[in-house]
Amino acid sequence: MKRLIRLYVNGEPHEVLVPVYRTLLDVLREELGLTGTKKGCDVGDCGACTILLNGEPVNACLVLAVEADGTQVDTIEGLAQVGEEGVRLHPLQESFLRLGAAQCGFCTPGMIMAARALLAENPSPSEEAVRFAIAGNICRCTGYTKIVQAILYAANREVM
Amino acid sequence: MSRGFSTIGVGHPRIDAIEKVTGKARYAADFSLPGMLYGKIKRSPHAHARVLSIDAEKALALEGVKAVLTPWDVPRVLHTGAPAPRLGSLRADQLVLTDVARFVGDGVAAVAATTEEIAEAALDLIEVQYEILPAVFTVEEARRPGAPLIHGTEGNLVMPPIIVQAGDVEAGFAEADLVLEATYHTGRPSHCYMEPNACLCYFDESGTLTIWASTQCAFMVRGILSEVLGLPLHKVRVVVKHMGGGFGAKQDLYQHEFVCALLARRTGRPVKMVYSRKEVFMATKTRHPVSITLKQGVKRDGTITARQALYVSNTGGYASHGPGITAVGTIDMTSLYRCNENWRLEGRSVYTNAPIAGAFRGYGAVQSFFALDVQMDELAEMVGMNPLDFRLKNAVGEGDPSPSGHRLRADALAACLRRGAEEVRWHERWQPPEVKTGRVRWGLGIGTEMHSSGAYPDIKEQSNAILKMNEDGTVQLLTGAADLGTGAHTVLAQIAAEELGMPLANIRVVSGDTDMVPFDIGAYASRTTYVAGSAVQRAAAELRQRLLALAGEKLGCEATTLEIRDGEIRRQGQVLLSVAELVRGEGGRPAVALMAQATYEAKVAYSFAAHFAEVEVDTETGMVRVTKVVAVHEIGKAINPLGVEGQIEGGIQQGIGHSLTEDLVLDPETGAPLNAGFVDYKMPLAPDMPEIRVIILEEAPDPDSPFGAKGVGEDPIMAIGPAIANAVYNATGVRFRELPITPDKLLARLREQGETDTA
Amino acid sequence: MRPFDYYEATSLEEAVSLLGRYDGRASILAGGTDLLVEMKEGLRAPACLVNIKRIPGLDELSYTPGEGLRIGAAVTVRQVERHPAVRQHYAGLAQAACQLGSVQVRNRATVVGNICRASPSADTAPPLIADGALVCLFGADGTRTVPLEEFFTGPGQTVLRAHEIVTELRLPDPIPHTGQVYLKHGRRLAMELATVGVAVSLTLQDEICTRVRIVLGAVAPTPIRASEAEAVLEGRSPDSTLVSMAAVKAQEASRPIDDVRSSAAYRRQMVRVLTLRALEQALTRARQEDSP
Repeated sequence: MKRLIRLYVNGEPHEVLVPVYRTLLDVLREELGLTGTKKGCDVGDCGACTILLNGEPVNACLVLAVEADGTQVDTIEGLAQVGEEGVRLHPLQESFLRLGAAQCGFCTPGMIMAARALLAENPSPSEEAVRFAIAGNICRCTGYTKIVQAILYAANREVM
Repeated sequence: MSRGFSTIGVGHPRIDAIEKVTGKARYAADFSLPGMLYGKIKRSPHAHARVLSIDAEKALALEGVKAVLTPWDVPRVLHTGAPAPRLGSLRADQLVLTDVARFVGDGVAAVAATTEEIAEAALDLIEVQYEILPAVFTVEEARRPGAPLIHGTEGNLVMPPIIVQAGDVEAGFAEADLVLEATYHTGRPSHCYMEPNACLCYFDESGTLTIWASTQCAFMVRGILSEVLGLPLHKVRVVVKHMGGGFGAKQDLYQHEFVCALLARRTGRPVKMVYSRKEVFMATKTRHPVSITLKQGVKRDGTITARQALYVSNTGGYASHGPGITAVGTIDMTSLYRCNENWRLEGRSVYTNAPIAGAFRGYGAVQSFFALDVQMDELAEMVGMNPLDFRLKNAVGEGDPSPSGHRLRADALAACLRRGAEEVRWHERWQPPEVKTGRVRWGLGIGTEMHSSGAYPDIKEQSNAILKMNEDGTVQLLTGAADLGTGAHTVLAQIAAEELGMPLANIRVVSGDTDMVPFDIGAYASRTTYVAGSAVQRAAAELRQRLLALAGEKLGCEATTLEIRDGEIRRQGQVLLSVAELVRGEGGRPAVALMAQATYEAKVAYSFAAHFAEVEVDTETGMVRVTKVVAVHEIGKAINPLGVEGQIEGGIQQGIGHSLTEDLVLDPETGAPLNAGFVDYKMPLAPDMPEIRVIILEEAPDPDSPFGAKGVGEDPIMAIGPAIANAVYNATGVRFRELPITPDKLLARLREQGETDTA
Repeated sequence: MRPFDYYEATSLEEAVSLLGRYDGRASILAGGTDLLVEMKEGLRAPACLVNIKRIPGLDELSYTPGEGLRIGAAVTVRQVERHPAVRQHYAGLAQAACQLGSVQVRNRATVVGNICRASPSADTAPPLIADGALVCLFGADGTRTVPLEEFFTGPGQTVLRAHEIVTELRLPDPIPHTGQVYLKHGRRLAMELATVGVAVSLTLQDEICTRVRIVLGAVAPTPIRASEAEAVLEGRSPDSTLVSMAAVKAQEASRPIDDVRSSAAYRRQMVRVLTLRALEQALTRARQEDSP
């Protein structure tokens, strides 16, 4: 069973014919080539596939692509602004880069998307709020120290 | 800028961070090719079973299935799975697909199909007949007379016991006022790198295999694939772009790498294989569960007189790094704390039907130093000394023997202890457990460690580097060293920039393609900065000399009077011309081809650390919360302090997990992991992590290393475990000689002590 | 995941008729955070998924003074956690909601789904039972209402009949001077499945406990009320002795199992510790609530 669905990914409309059993994660990665969203566990435990669905962070591995028909999907690929002066990083991307918050980088896209959702809701979160907002994003490299610093730094620097 | 350096010693952002924060970084599973198939492995549900027959007819009949492989369709070449010969050597005991399953999850067949879903469905259609064999999961069971022999070796020993001795242990014990003997146990943590194992294989028209892989040791993958598949080395190309962590487990090859290549050969199409998280848990690697029976004698003045130990590791169904970690774990007990050079240490590695244990950050020494440093606390109490003073009295220092057999060059361990004690105000704040009361009790504990930068002399460490000068003054740095997420490539670029006198922005690292870069043995044992970095430094030094010679010729002066800074040729501070002007072609004449290469074979350098952990123990629930860690590391020179801090903070996170919550638990009946997922295999998450204060000491730069730098990757995970166990003791008076320290065990022990109300 | 048929029902009648057509081989899809995982792990292989999120009215989350709270079957845990009236009037439920999984999971998972899954450790079940929640069901034979306390029959088992759907949960308006608390025991501070969960809803009038509900999660085949523990306090003026006695009674009521998360013995001890703490906190909250 297949369905034709329409997704607005990073602001661009896409029409995709998808098997109903395929997750949004697999459709983003395999059909649309957006491999920035990572598959770390495929069962909603690690947060590597965090995207924004109509602005809210979700695990793309726990959403069927058909359920997302008609929604706005934001992935890591849509975060930086590309303009005449080249690529302008989002403040979170900038702070993750500068403060050493990305090591192996596999959790980074999901982590940044979770942080983006937090800052959209709470522009100046406490350290504790940051830590709980990314509790569903596992990082095995950093001890979270520099990730938390980077999110707080981005929050203080600019209102999202 | 510090101490006259321009590029090193500064916390540069990683050179690949831009790709990572934008989602552009590509990991093995992110590559695809037209016409690609998906491969899956059929795994044994039995821990020990002989495969009698496999019927693939139904699977092959499923639409979309392109090939099925059984143990009889693949080369029956026994291989080690693990690269690089170490002390005690490796055992070639693995097959591409096995006809005798030796742990739950051992691969017995494989399939390739047009979609992942069809491949999965096909697995269920492959019918395997097994003869179930008796299985053993613990060392005790495996060593019992009459136990099933997993690889036919006597007593299920992987190799003959390793025996390391010096001095006279019996005389040492006789000299002691007090002797303590106790057994220490460590758990079965899983690496949990975030990127599941994955690869993509295809054969081109010339019969050359290209494999995109996630490996720490690309050249070792090339070597073993060539051996097993019967391909010459020039027809195997291994490509590693970005890696999502490895922590030692991705030193080894797994069944998918062989199977994927064979499926690609069989079908004539590209094949991709990606492990599920459950497969990563059950069928890759764990740390070795180890028991250490440690006996030490001590005089009333705090002098340790002798050390005896038996180190026994459970390596699971295959040897992998069992011999190596057992050798390292055993030999490392010669050091860290002095014992009048009287020791007798024995190491054994034992096959069982548990999941395979392999290399994991801290390689065998995590377990040894846990035993040693917990016992240091116990001995201190026996002789009535403060645990800090007792450690300072016995800490190894200049002139003491090291595990590599060389004498140590500095008193760096004591320096770490002193600096940490000052930071935590040890003498003001530390109090013995007897005075602790209340529902929530605070404790402070110390853990220490030392680690060589590289595995010399066990391994003939070798790295190479090639630097290619471009005609505009920029440089390509070709290295075979992997960056599994550590920032190693950034450090190599910094070393090249510093040595050349060029801006970091002018260096581009080319890596991860065995067709293009020079040989490197792999990324492990905290060796990359030291060994690969030395090769880079030497190649850069040579290139610099050639540039200066060229400049001398062009300017008509002695090359020795010139220097390069910020990409400019200078004499006595005066800028004469830029490197770009020097090397570019003129009047239609091409530029001078300038290339330099160097090889470095390592010597030995040691890094040291002392961790001070603060904990709070809830005596009603047995829950331990680590509230602060002060981590003091002596590493010679921090090329990139930002990267060093990141390594230490991450190592502490893993170590807290190993100490409190992480343990892959096996069903005692079936040997199947009971918590093969992130819900029940519990890594510390962001809210669980304490404040970490990292202090980097540069007291003992190594004379043979780039700018004095030593390794740091392994170090942090070794010191934190004993620090936490000792802090729990300090808070509660409950001595844990095993990890992990779980709340139910702690609560039961508190009750035995009669310290809590009993309702 | 194995292939399946997929429908987006636009009415309850259509959903029920689809369930009937597949005769037990169809599953309701709301949040999907448990269902899809079980399907990926091969624990369930439904022939059809019936997505009910587009059925009008099921997304209702509303509080009416005097009537109470309604939580529709499509309402996410995150919506409940953020709802001002939930935070104000149903503090135990709010605590449970914000401790369930990650933000990402809570944005998909529904409270009704958490209930229908009937896991003994479901976080929202103990506070909902303590607050006196009712379950509204719709089936081929029409609608019916069941107290949540009577809804569960075993792990994964409920009184739901074939081709019946839970449409919403209804909670009465809390009595003034009620303190509600949910405490959860897990090894980490987040992303835990409760090894023990304890919900308390306690009404204190003139220092007398007029209504006490103590509900235990993860220590029996279903969430259970510790009635003997409640009886220790009901009608009496609470003091530390009575609170301790109630905690011991709660421990006696628990019938936990050994599993990879915890030993049964440890769970039993935690029931006492958590009940004691929950009661103390509920008393404080009840006393703080000066006027309704």
